[in-house]
Amino acid sequence: MSRGRVSLLLLAVTLAALLIACAPTEKEAYKRQFFSLGTLIEISLWDVDDERAAKAVRRVEEIVNDAHQRWHAWEPSEITALNTAIAEGQSLTLSPATIAALRRARELAAASGQLFNPAIGRLIALWGFHSDEPPHGPPPTQAAIDALLAQAPDMDALWIEGLHAGSNNPAVQLDLGAFAKGYTVDLAIAALRELGIENAIVNAGGDLRAIGSHGKRPWSIGIRQPADHSEGGILASIETHGDEAVFTSGDYERFFYFEGRRYHHILDPRDGFPARQVISVTAIGADGATADAAVTGLFVAGPDHWQEVAQRMGITQVMMIDTDMRIYMTAEMARRVHFEIAPPAGVFIAGESPRETR
Amino acid sequence: MKRGDYFIVLGALIALPWLYLTYWSGSAPGTQALIVDGSGHELTLALTMDRQVEIAGPLGASVIEIHDGKARFVSSPCTGKLCIHAGWLSASGTVAACLPNRVSLTITGHHARWDSINF
Repeated sequence: MSRGRVSLLLLAVTLAALLIACAPTEKEAYKRQFFSLGTLIEISLWDVDDERAAKAVRRVEEIVNDAHQRWHAWEPSEITALNTAIAEGQSLTLSPATIAALRRARELAAASGQLFNPAIGRLIALWGFHSDEPPHGPPPTQAAIDALLAQAPDMDALWIEGLHAGSNNPAVQLDLGAFAKGYTVDLAIAALRELGIENAIVNAGGDLRAIGSHGKRPWSIGIRQPADHSEGGILASIETHGDEAVFTSGDYERFFYFEGRRYHHILDPRDGFPARQVISVTAIGADGATADAAVTGLFVAGPDHWQEVAQRMGITQVMMIDTDMRIYMTAEMARRVHFEIAPPAGVFIAGESPRETR
Repeated sequence: MKRGDYFIVLGALIALPWLYLTYWSGSAPGTQALIVDGSGHELTLALTMDRQVEIAGPLGASVIEIHDGKARFVSSPCTGKLCIHAGWLSASGTVAACLPNRVSLTITGHHARWDSINF
């Protein structure tokens, strides 16, 4: 072979080797999963040695299991004990952890205009959602719903003094289902930081908070297409920056069919029925508790009023999908979201309406 | 340059797209199925070997099938059957779970396109 050919061959081989060597064969994040809080918890850690990672996962597991035991809505917990006390006109002494959670839930309920209302536990039970398995129906009667709503249970009726809590409204029955995951994810992230971990994702059943990054690149989050559990069903993706919570509430998470009609678990506290018009809401917030409560409040508010609720709750990044698959977003969210598939219906950016973008 | 030199350069140019797709593209198929049960036991199975496994949970056995580089829940003793409706999984990072029976199935391997899935 001539020297020229050898040089060219070497050049080609070198280029190919460089292409392979420089490829992003990055190491994988440390990942562990466990079941708690009625869902699958996944911890992702970046740049942490296995020993510290295992210790961190154990700590998160303790925190999540503790939350599960303290705040479960129907298995014996501090919350069910408080509910029993309230129904009997009594108050109860609770742990500082539960008092802190209740104070936070009460603040968020007020901020949402009680659209996120964790005092409607009795209504949720009436619909049959106080079970690990979906209800079979039938839905409750209008009379039963009206009787409950007439007693107007909300978080303003919950009083807290020191470690004591109670309510003068015996219809107040707490269910932290739309809040506990977010609040617990925050506790888990705080614990990871105490252990010196700065790059992590804590994902509780699809709702997550991410801190730091995956090395030189940001964490990348896929947002699943609502109602599509098939594998290709990633609708959009976002990259997180610094410390952000990404939460979604969807009508596909818990539901039942009765006589051909579908009933889901996100109840509108104003009329006592599953909220209509929306199939999912995704919000990016600074913390899990706010994002969790917000997606419920926004879901209930619906396409006509979500912007007011978002403003009151201090949430600037929202994506809502209605039952016709139209996507509504804040301008700030629109800048973050990268669609992985063509949106099936229109995309409407708040403040830029009525322009429709495809 | 002689004719042979051109062939070498041509060969390198043809190889480039293949190398790019192989080493640089976003979401490659996963290589393994990670199955976790309610007790935290982990089972990792290669997606290259077809088989069915039964995973015991509090409600009974969930059956997971691996076939042709994909994995799915075939049956599970839950009411909702969301795990089964998830269908075949093959892309790295995708997850299906039977919450009532506490069994999860995650596809793992290199080039996971997303670090975590929100839903």
